Amino acid sequence: MPEISITPHHIAFFGFEVGASVVMGSFVVLLLVILCVLINLRVRRFQEKPTGIQNLIELAVESVYQFSKGKVGHNADFCAPMVLTLMTFIATATLVELFGLPPATEDLSCTLALGFTTFLLVNVTALREFGLLRRIRRMASPAFFVLPIRMMTDLVAPVSMALRLFINVMVGGIVMKLIYSAIPLVLPAAVSVYFNLIHVAIQTFVFGLLTLNYTMEATE
Amino acid sequence: MFCMAIIAIAAAIASLTGIGAALGMSHATSKAVESIARQPEAAGKISSSLMFGLIMMETCAIYSLFVAILLIGKIA
Repeated sequence: MPEISITPHHIAFFGFEVGASVVMGSFVVLLLVILCVLINLRVRRFQEKPTGIQNLIELAVESVYQFSKGKVGHNADFCAPMVLTLMTFIATATLVELFGLPPATEDLSCTLALGFTTFLLVNVTALREFGLLRRIRRMASPAFFVLPIRMMTDLVAPVSMALRLFINVMVGGIVMKLIYSAIPLVLPAAVSVYFNLIHVAIQTFVFGLLTLNYTMEATE
Repeated sequence: MFCMAIIAIAAAIASLTGIGAALGMSHATSKAVESIARQPEAAGKISSSLMFGLIMMETCAIYSLFVAILLIGKIA
């Protein structure tokens, strides 16, 4: 019976201890930077008619850009790169579980940092568009008592996004551990299609969708 | 010993939230499928609204799952 723990495990590193998610997060960022350098070496200059790798890049960027343009309108130039970066980081950091490494999003600290990034994005977009006084006046718009309710919603929403991602990834890991210790033969591969591929796709899409929704609510 | 039993029963009661979440999600999906069948050209907007509602309902079930796992970790 494997032991189940919620708190992350620490790795001893030159005398002091770092959490496993710090190491894995840095590793994922390094991997993405190397991927970007490789793509830059492959596609020297962008062509009018895209071929090969440029097709994939344009597909990803264009779909996220159109999606955020349908939600936030003219702020899409500011928000879409951030949304694509968040989604790429979450997808890569959770997909490394397929190689046996602990995913970085299995730690509540990592997902809280991602939620804090969403909080910053929503507020900076709203402040850029309206300015401080007009934003406060808009937040208190039908009556005055909705102002503390709206401020509390702004604070709680990133925490709920962080908890959703953290619990989904952690529960997937726990169920996979239990199945590995019970029937290690064919069943883990079949079940991990759901927990390690479909869940990752759904959770990254949900994270991006909710970020854009909160930005739309703050700037409509 | 009594403490361990009470914690186990509490974890089981915390998992009953799944009933409400599943019932709500099935109700919302059935209404959405009906309205798509009535008006197929609005399928995009209806799907977006359905997905947004399903996300919110799933979050409640996920919170109760978290409480159950926290409680199981505290048996003895």
